[in-house]
Amino acid sequence: MNTSNKQILLVGNPNVGKSTVFNFLCGKKQKTGNYAGVTVASHSGGYEYKGERVEVIDLPGSYSIYPSSEDEAIFSKYLIDEQNNYSGVVYILEALSIKRGLLLFQQIQDLGIPIILVVNQIDQAQRRGITIDIAQLSKELNVTVLQANAKLNQGIEELRDEIHKQSFTKSETVSFDIPTEHRGLVFKILQETKEENQYKVWTLLSSDTYLGKLETVSEQMNNYEVKCLVPKRLQTQETIRRYQEIDKIIGKVISKKPQFKELLTEKLDKVLVHQFWGYVIFGFVLLFIFQSVFFLAEYPMNWISDFFLWLSGFVNAQLPAGPVNSLLANGIIPGVGGIVVFAPQIGILLYFLYLLEDSGYMSRVIFLMDRFLRPFGLNGKSIVPLVSGTACAIPAIMSTRNIENVKERLITILVTPFMTCSARLPVYSIIIGLIIPNKFFIGISYKALALMAMYFLGFFTSLMASLILKKIIKSKGTSFLVMDLPSYKMPLFGYDFKIVLGKVWEFITGAGKIIFLFSIVIWFFSYIGPKQNPKDFVATDVKLENSYLAKMGKSIEPAIAPLGYDWKMGVGILTSFVAREVFVGTMSTLYSLDEEAPEGTIIDKMRSDVKPNGEKVFSFATGISILFFYAFAMQCVSTLAVVYRETKSWKWTMAQLFGMSGLAYVASLFVYQILK
Amino acid sequence: MKRDISDKLCCFPRNKFGKILGYENNDLVMPNKIIEMGLLPQTVFKVLYQAPFSGPLYIEFGDEKSRIALREEEARFIIVESLT
Repeated sequence: MNTSNKQILLVGNPNVGKSTVFNFLCGKKQKTGNYAGVTVASHSGGYEYKGERVEVIDLPGSYSIYPSSEDEAIFSKYLIDEQNNYSGVVYILEALSIKRGLLLFQQIQDLGIPIILVVNQIDQAQRRGITIDIAQLSKELNVTVLQANAKLNQGIEELRDEIHKQSFTKSETVSFDIPTEHRGLVFKILQETKEENQYKVWTLLSSDTYLGKLETVSEQMNNYEVKCLVPKRLQTQETIRRYQEIDKIIGKVISKKPQFKELLTEKLDKVLVHQFWGYVIFGFVLLFIFQSVFFLAEYPMNWISDFFLWLSGFVNAQLPAGPVNSLLANGIIPGVGGIVVFAPQIGILLYFLYLLEDSGYMSRVIFLMDRFLRPFGLNGKSIVPLVSGTACAIPAIMSTRNIENVKERLITILVTPFMTCSARLPVYSIIIGLIIPNKFFIGISYKALALMAMYFLGFFTSLMASLILKKIIKSKGTSFLVMDLPSYKMPLFGYDFKIVLGKVWEFITGAGKIIFLFSIVIWFFSYIGPKQNPKDFVATDVKLENSYLAKMGKSIEPAIAPLGYDWKMGVGILTSFVAREVFVGTMSTLYSLDEEAPEGTIIDKMRSDVKPNGEKVFSFATGISILFFYAFAMQCVSTLAVVYRETKSWKWTMAQLFGMSGLAYVASLFVYQILK
Repeated sequence: MKRDISDKLCCFPRNKFGKILGYENNDLVMPNKIIEMGLLPQTVFKVLYQAPFSGPLYIEFGDEKSRIALREEEARFIIVESLT
């Protein structure tokens, strides 16, 4: 079969159902955004139709071609820069807010980009008694218009067909009427450059920031007296003029029955954004999520941990005693198992966060929280990174891109890693299990309370850090909040589940790979030690205490002993510099290797371990010290990489690394010395 | 003409219909996003809710009943009149 390739872009305002269209269009063949590698698109995927391979890129939503946030800047840049590399744009319009959607549509059309228009969520409009004359709309805009109800997979097949038939239309004329007073300048530039599109010249005059590659024009720019132009004023002029034209089109294509039915959204918002109940509900939503993370996850966690215990025993019994047996049964299996066991908790947390985002509830949370976050130098929009930081700081930091103000965005990026991410959970769970008694306070376990306290500690620290950063960082631009409150939608349960599975798998393979490697290295250095026989190069199969690993751990003891740690924890802290959860894998490996320790689970071994002076290794004081250390220390190379990519500043990346690590050391030292 | 403070969107009473007349944007500090989102002159609106401690306003506007959140500071740029 003759297969050709085509690339299309999915574009539209935020919350118009782009993800749903994307999901149905690409079916199972999509790959979800790999946060580490994605620079422009949030998602890209593909499908095959009639022997043609189509690649779909889902761009971040935007209201206009003129960016007011990093997200929108990425959008505009991609749209204009890559114009020669894609076949066309599929523009998604929400039937209920056609007017707003047409603004960006016409801007893209005027740039001479081939486009197809899809009117989505027709059903919602019908419920409100609104009828859209699709044929008329198509005639007015001179574009192919399709109707869709993406949620029910309606209109998707037609869309595939139109994409296949190459029904994208490229507008030859510019619908925007350039104001008379600037026409002279625009035409003068046009004449002297190779550029043919007058709207492109206009966008260059009316944007403060460079919109993609318009080199043919920009080189000529300095020759003209453009300094007296105020880009912002031109933008305002354009927007108002365009809306006047759009109003005329709307008048011709939309008819409305007089009765107006109150939608679910209006009823829900009476409670969900209520001055009092809104916060109570948000509190309960968070509580419910965190409860689920611990109680729902308990069963799968037990299964996984039992499985690895069985596997380790099985391997130990089946293989002849020797290095391979030891490496597998005591090194790799417990190490990897120690991490996989946390996959259910991470999955559940992420799943709930995706559902909240999809349903439209998150923007209500922004509305509720804005006033409370502002004194800390943050924005209402910072609540999204902060809450999703409880799952993982990496996507959380990426989600700061919709914060318009540079300073607020930078502060949010810098403080988000303080939030208790899922990688800290393994560490917290083990330490809390070791040091907090199994008692209950009015039906709530001490352990759950301790864990909750750790979450509060993270949140409190990020607020305090914001307060300090607010004083340090110089302000750029004004802070503002203008945000759409979309109607509530039924979340895409299946789609989100798929994404979560992907993310959990990424976590397992990502962290798993590192832990696999470290398990081998740790096992190796615990298996060999300084020679005891002059003929040998090294001694093998030594006692853990005599191994090279113990030597290494002991060499950093002077630095960590004041915090209450022994050499094993020292090794754990060193290895977990890459990622916090590696600490648990390292501990599992180390304690499995220690044949001196009594038989039992790793937790039991850790609990009964004593220092040479007879003190318990994991006493209350040491435990709290470790908890504080992991609450503050940066210890995540991937996050550092993302912070650098988003801030493009070594200064801030390093400040964050050393600031957090320094705080971790001082805080641990302080609590240990007080509690011991 | 000197305008009264109550003629600004920030101080408009809740659940009453009003109409946008224009913007007080002489120093060009008002975010363009306000206009892009559709808060245009002649648009009819209603302030539905406000977050506590002078938090953002929840505004419904236009024929499409679009809903947006806007801080008081931004709402101060918008000149309105009462329709009742």
